[in-house]
Amino acid sequence: MSLALLQRRFLCEITAADKDTAPSSPGMAIYRNAYRARLVDALGTSFERTRRWAGEGSFEAAACHHILTCPPSSWSLDDYGHTFPQLLETLFPESPELAELSWLEWHLQRAFAAPDRPLLDPAELASRGLSEQGWATLHFTMTAGFTARPIATNCIALWAELAKSDAEDFAVEALEGQSLIVWRSGFSPHFRQIEAAELDALRQLAAGASLGEIADETNAQLLGAWLALWLQDRLFSATG
Amino acid sequence: MSDTIPPFSGFGLGLRKDHHHDFLTRQVPVDFVEIISENFMACGGRPLHTLDAVRERHRVAMHGVSLSLGSAEGLDPAYLGDLKQLVRRVDPLWVSDHLCWTGIDGQGSHDLLPLPYTEEALEICVANIRRAQDVIERPLLVENPSSYATFAQSTMSEWQFLAGLSERSGCYLLLDVNNIYVSSVNHSFDPQDFLAGLPADRVRQMHLAGHSAGPDGLLIDTHDAPVCPQVWALYRAAVARFGSCATMIERDDHIPPLGELLEELALARGAAGDCTSLAA
Repeated sequence: MSLALLQRRFLCEITAADKDTAPSSPGMAIYRNAYRARLVDALGTSFERTRRWAGEGSFEAAACHHILTCPPSSWSLDDYGHTFPQLLETLFPESPELAELSWLEWHLQRAFAAPDRPLLDPAELASRGLSEQGWATLHFTMTAGFTARPIATNCIALWAELAKSDAEDFAVEALEGQSLIVWRSGFSPHFRQIEAAELDALRQLAAGASLGEIADETNAQLLGAWLALWLQDRLFSATG
Repeated sequence: MSDTIPPFSGFGLGLRKDHHHDFLTRQVPVDFVEIISENFMACGGRPLHTLDAVRERHRVAMHGVSLSLGSAEGLDPAYLGDLKQLVRRVDPLWVSDHLCWTGIDGQGSHDLLPLPYTEEALEICVANIRRAQDVIERPLLVENPSSYATFAQSTMSEWQFLAGLSERSGCYLLLDVNNIYVSSVNHSFDPQDFLAGLPADRVRQMHLAGHSAGPDGLLIDTHDAPVCPQVWALYRAAVARFGSCATMIERDDHIPPLGELLEELALARGAAGDCTSLAA
């Protein structure tokens, strides 16, 4: 048997579910248990507040489902779980806050250790003395860890409550037209709830649109206020 | 590219999150720290800042868990690129990883999986080690893992395999004394044969750790307990054979306060000192 075939068979055995096949030896049982336990533990650590909100039983069932349907493919265990929020959305359609909460937890951690990008200094930008045309042709690169998604629940309040307690009395509320952005400034991850229109503008900028292109579709006063806030939040990298 | 690693006989600890504050705020009495390479690869923010700050105070060894030197499908070029970047940033004492494979066909296990000790596996490992050494422009240290399974196909012992690996690839060895003990119990071999079968001039580092009892009399390499008396005895035998090379205590679970680990490290200093004094 070639080494490649031996490795395929070995991996197949340790990643199989117990209900499908029994391990061929006590040693192989150790490898199988370790495989599953390590991944469940990684998910439980990455999604600690989601785990408590979902309840241990529901969370572990979802984690086991994820391990079977989405085995790890990256060399970094820290990467395992990036599609877990989508799975929660599918498994718990009646509880959309679970997917949103898990998304927030995941991206705060990703932002924390995201590769560094130099921050755009608002004072430096102001000192350029840009003309109106100069501002219109500005392009921005988003800062480390920037990401965004629409939200339909008060998942931010839930995230905050779970920092203090198990949120047993927390009431999930529906939101309309709201989104969530995450980024890192300095060493700290940040997040903010924004309106859908602001998300649309940020996504266009992140995709390479110039400030002038955004201005064509946005009230000038509103865009000015957003820009001031984005610069204050340090949403842009100096590489832009 | 240098193809040698000069001997370095110090005593160190693994850098773990629980102890970051200690390492950043006081002078910890260790000769080096060992980092898990993957914790700092392709990342930024506070983790990399912490590493840079620790690097200013201590010599650093890089220890990986995902290189997959025994992979039948070769090494991951993206991983190698990220490893190379970190090596350039840290300029470590050395870079080590395990004699194992971690996945195949794009699926990972996040475990250190065992190899059959065959000529085919040896050739594959040698080719993979040479490739990694070419990319990072320095020799690797290869560590013996604990294992819980053996293969009927094996035609040589683990120590014969390691000796062949070092001879053909030019790599050095990281001797995990606890892993030797765990595997010797699990696979019923004499750990002294393991020590006697390795080339004395290729060992550059030793790991000490604790383990736990698993099912069916097997031992599991859990790194969650103090070093046991049998492993201390084997460490003394290893120092007597290989000299007092760099030694560190590994603890990855149930991590105690730093002071406790330093006390355990002092035991290693004492044991190594006793052995080298006797040898002199």
